[in-house]
Amino acid sequence: MKVSAIVLAAAGLLLLPVASVSAEGVNDAQIASIVVTANQVDIDAGRVAATRATSEEVKTFARLMVTDHTGVNKAATDLAAKLKVIPQNNPTSQSLKADGEKSLAHLKTLSGHEFDKAYIDREVAYHQQVIDALDKTLIPSATNEELKALLVKVRPAFVAHLEHAKRLQATTSQKG
Amino acid sequence: MRITRLAALVGLIVCTLGLAAAERPEPKTHTVTIEGLRFQPERLTVARGDTVVWVNKDLVPHTATSEDGVFDSKTIQPEKSWRFTAGKKGEFAYICTFHPTMTAMLQVE
Repeated sequence: MKVSAIVLAAAGLLLLPVASVSAEGVNDAQIASIVVTANQVDIDAGRVAATRATSEEVKTFARLMVTDHTGVNKAATDLAAKLKVIPQNNPTSQSLKADGEKSLAHLKTLSGHEFDKAYIDREVAYHQQVIDALDKTLIPSATNEELKALLVKVRPAFVAHLEHAKRLQATTSQKG
Repeated sequence: MRITRLAALVGLIVCTLGLAAAERPEPKTHTVTIEGLRFQPERLTVARGDTVVWVNKDLVPHTATSEDGVFDSKTIQPEKSWRFTAGKKGEFAYICTFHPTMTAMLQVE
């Protein structure tokens, strides 16, 4: 019973890396910080998974996450510099970072198929939550048109990653 | 008599060349824009000899890779493009090897 409670708690932890991206009234500088942090969290997880994953497909996906989220972050930091916006730390970006670190620490305790499954489950939850955050908070709150346009432009990448991760989730759970 | 035959022959050749030219118009260049993790248009029909240019307007790298190995752009970085001259008739389903959700079709007539 205790074991299942711990397993459930750990699963909950993994599934809620960006659950707190719901703060209302975020300004553009805070949005920039949330975007950069959200991408960085997934780059960090991808770097670990690219070496630690067992399945080649999962490794390939992890490398893609590093490449794509690095590309998105470059665009975000370039735009922030152009607009002279200094990304502003805020409770949402702080909890994103803290949750990302916790989730990564947990991933590092796993290996083999268990690692692959946990990483892919995390990726499905992460991308779904970022899409929700984009739709409900970030895009509606952005006031600068270029920032809003960038958020709209990056959304399809998150949707494609989510679909890709779901396909891998189906194959990794079959293997388990 | 011989001159007439020659004239007819020359006429025939010119005519044949003319027809051949009519059958093979100047090759065209078509553009497929890669944006929002989609190939646009998703289905493109071109003539043999035409050139297709894939332009990556996304923030992430992509490829245009036919499933049967007829063409493969390898990595197309953001804001870069890749050209391919269609030499073989047929229907070529292609994908981005990085993003398996991206699929499209090139038809060469």
